[in-house]
Amino acid sequence: MDKRYDFTQAWAEADRCLLCHDAPCSKGCPANTDPGKFIKKFKMQNIKGAIRTIKENNILGGACGILCPTARLCEKECASSLLDRPIQIGKIQEFLVRHGREIGFKVFEKPELTLEKVAVIGSGPAGLSCGAELAKKGYAVTIFEKMDEPGGVLRYGVPSYRFSKEYLKTELEDIINLGVKFECGHAIKKDSEAEDLLNKGFRAVFIATGLWDAASIFDEKPEGVYNSVEFLSSPHTGSLDILKDQVKDKKVAVIGGGSVAMDCAGFAASLGAKDVYLVYRRSFSQMPAEKDEKMESLENDIHFLILNQPKAYLTNDKGVVSGIKLVRTELSQAQGAQRRSPIEIKDSQWVLDIDLVVEAIGNKAFKDSNSLYPGVDIDDKKLIKAELDNCQTSKQGIFAGGDIVRGPALVVNAVCDGKTGANAIDSYLVRRRAKLTTKEG
Amino acid sequence: MNKNDIDLSIDFCGVKFKNPFLLSSSPVSNSAEMVARSFEAGWSGVVFKTLNSDTTPIIHPSPRMNGYGYGNKKLVGLQNVEMISDRPLKDNLADFLYLKKKYPGHVLISSIMGFSNDEWAYLAKVSQDNGADMLELNFSCPHMAVEGAGHHVGKAFDLIEKFTTTVKQCVSIPVIAKMTPNITDMTEPAIYAKQGGADAISAINTVSGISQIDLDGFTPKPNIFGIGSVSGTSGPAIKPIGLRFISDMAKCEDLSLPLSGIGGIETWVDALEYILLGASTIQVTTGIIHYGYGIVEDMIEGLTDFMVEKSIAKVQDLVGKALPNLKTTDKFDLKRQGRAEYDLTNCVGCGQCYTVCRDAAGFALEWDQEKRRPILNEDKCLSCMICSFVCPVSGIISYTEMPGTWKRQDACVMDRFLETQIKYQPFNAGHLISS
Repeated sequence: MDKRYDFTQAWAEADRCLLCHDAPCSKGCPANTDPGKFIKKFKMQNIKGAIRTIKENNILGGACGILCPTARLCEKECASSLLDRPIQIGKIQEFLVRHGREIGFKVFEKPELTLEKVAVIGSGPAGLSCGAELAKKGYAVTIFEKMDEPGGVLRYGVPSYRFSKEYLKTELEDIINLGVKFECGHAIKKDSEAEDLLNKGFRAVFIATGLWDAASIFDEKPEGVYNSVEFLSSPHTGSLDILKDQVKDKKVAVIGGGSVAMDCAGFAASLGAKDVYLVYRRSFSQMPAEKDEKMESLENDIHFLILNQPKAYLTNDKGVVSGIKLVRTELSQAQGAQRRSPIEIKDSQWVLDIDLVVEAIGNKAFKDSNSLYPGVDIDDKKLIKAELDNCQTSKQGIFAGGDIVRGPALVVNAVCDGKTGANAIDSYLVRRRAKLTTKEG
Repeated sequence: MNKNDIDLSIDFCGVKFKNPFLLSSSPVSNSAEMVARSFEAGWSGVVFKTLNSDTTPIIHPSPRMNGYGYGNKKLVGLQNVEMISDRPLKDNLADFLYLKKKYPGHVLISSIMGFSNDEWAYLAKVSQDNGADMLELNFSCPHMAVEGAGHHVGKAFDLIEKFTTTVKQCVSIPVIAKMTPNITDMTEPAIYAKQGGADAISAINTVSGISQIDLDGFTPKPNIFGIGSVSGTSGPAIKPIGLRFISDMAKCEDLSLPLSGIGGIETWVDALEYILLGASTIQVTTGIIHYGYGIVEDMIEGLTDFMVEKSIAKVQDLVGKALPNLKTTDKFDLKRQGRAEYDLTNCVGCGQCYTVCRDAAGFALEWDQEKRRPILNEDKCLSCMICSFVCPVSGIISYTEMPGTWKRQDACVMDRFLETQIKYQPFNAGHLISS
């Protein structure tokens, strides 16, 4: 059965909402979504108004409804929790956006794009949200995307069973209808190319390239070991069929304990793996994945190998991975607020026989990413230095947001940066226009 | 007193009912197959779906009903355009014989509606001859477009008397007259029925209404291929109307007939409310349409437990028990005043009380933004109690009477300085404003 709400279910859930006078849910969203407002509208049968409230604030409102860890955001302070359980805000939000499409409701009129050209690099949530906001203000936006199709992490980083590509398509349609242009398969890769866009007719650039260099555990990566980026993007890069053969009825180990690791494990299970192991060196509660993701993995029959530290890969005579050398760990004594760290237990080494390994221990910026924008200051992790409240980098006219600034963060944080960036770019270009007028005068 | 001491049976026009709970004449009493199942479930009797004499073919409109919800709650009301029975008379009468043979201890009431004196007489006679224990004269079917039938009769009082007289002359079984609520004063037609010889009154039939409009077809629902109609509304939404009419008739000394209460009954509490206002039997349709026959089990158990709790052994002793306390509004003791009392122990901080008090009452609440809790300014409380109606938690808001010395603050006047500019003279009786 479809776990998403249909009209009756969404209506019933909205009916549980207490319509708080000062809705605490509305203070819990990084992207300023106002559930108190859209649920009240829904309840008052003002359904289009509810959809408008969501989409005007967040062009990716449907995606966020699905992907947000709502339990620790909007739903966290829900007054209904004190009665029994919080209102399922994310599910109502997802329903409303989907319902809007089903009834053919268009939130946005196509704007006249009479203002300056702006370039956005990367079509993930930050880039999409920035592009849409700018187009709504009347800017002519081009989004450059190195992959063949837009969406960034929404397409290449989230498995389809969590977020379907049909759904992404409809979210993208809203952005295309705003007049945002996409240049897909167009990588910005030459030295200084990002900054050079300013000399090619674009008056501002928003860098939202995200983090796509998957970290690896060891120097060696034998055949049969994938990273999370390769693994999760396989349905869209043509390598899915090969992978299916390698996974079906086989034993797969995913190394890591975050949301991406859970996605990799779930994806492996969906491809028919016989056994999927999640290998993590700390404890269950220390796994950074959301609680509901962990529970879903457990229910999915994923085996949690917690308190196990990978030491090396074993390979067969063809050089393909055949096992992981693991050593058991225990947690150190608690020292103040510091989290307890894993300590290897002596003589506890063992080998997990395995046919395929996915490393999901986090992504970082590409080593040479700074060469695209040498005039922009970066930190020691190669993340771009930009203030979160204005996305302004050290170079005039260049703005940045999303994971390439924050490090690994939520989709909704990226959406927020996109909006912030768009507002900052607008202010910057308004000032620039004013200066030009003064000069001319 | 315990459960075994409770007697739910009741005498209604000399006929003994095992309990006061009957099916009313409607789709839920359409055939013996259905009625038999209801008897097994615990209903004590049935008013069978109104008979048709086969002279006029009956075809029900399609679709024939529309459910009417409130928020997430379904079937708060039901709209229907059903006609009387569309079955051949012989089928219905055969079902009568079956029910009387199989369930001799249950009461079979035949609902009839004629288009002429002869037809009323005919239907009354065949009902009695085939085992009906009582008759219910349907003076109230809201879907008859023909003059002289259904609710048109219920509004033409002389016809009520005439048809009742006709029926009484040709049968010996008790006769109930069923009233339409689509009038101002029900005691008047009820007295006409009494003059015609009616032994009891049942009320109410459905309330004429339009509960929903199909916004795409611009047609009231049920939308019968592009046409809607003013039709019968039933269900919990109409209970206040039914209770009011029953109480009016119960208090009417000129009437003094047994009453059968109908309208929005689903639970033992609803049924008891009708009984407390003077009904000695009650009838149900929409409750069954919503939940099935099984609700009678809870009516029986619930009413029994209530009677144990109140040490009242006989249902008869509950009939009309609330009537002495039902008076006109001029009888209120206005010297006694009170206010809402708040116990915030279990408050969840939703602030709905604050919103409604600010926008619909005395603005007696302030909102503590830090703690997210209301603060009651006691002497501004109007005691309307709407805050307690929206509060999602039990027991936070209660009513408390205040001593006679307590004084409520007047509503604030925004600008006292404007008083000097008011154009008025205090009202004097008999004073005429000259032009």
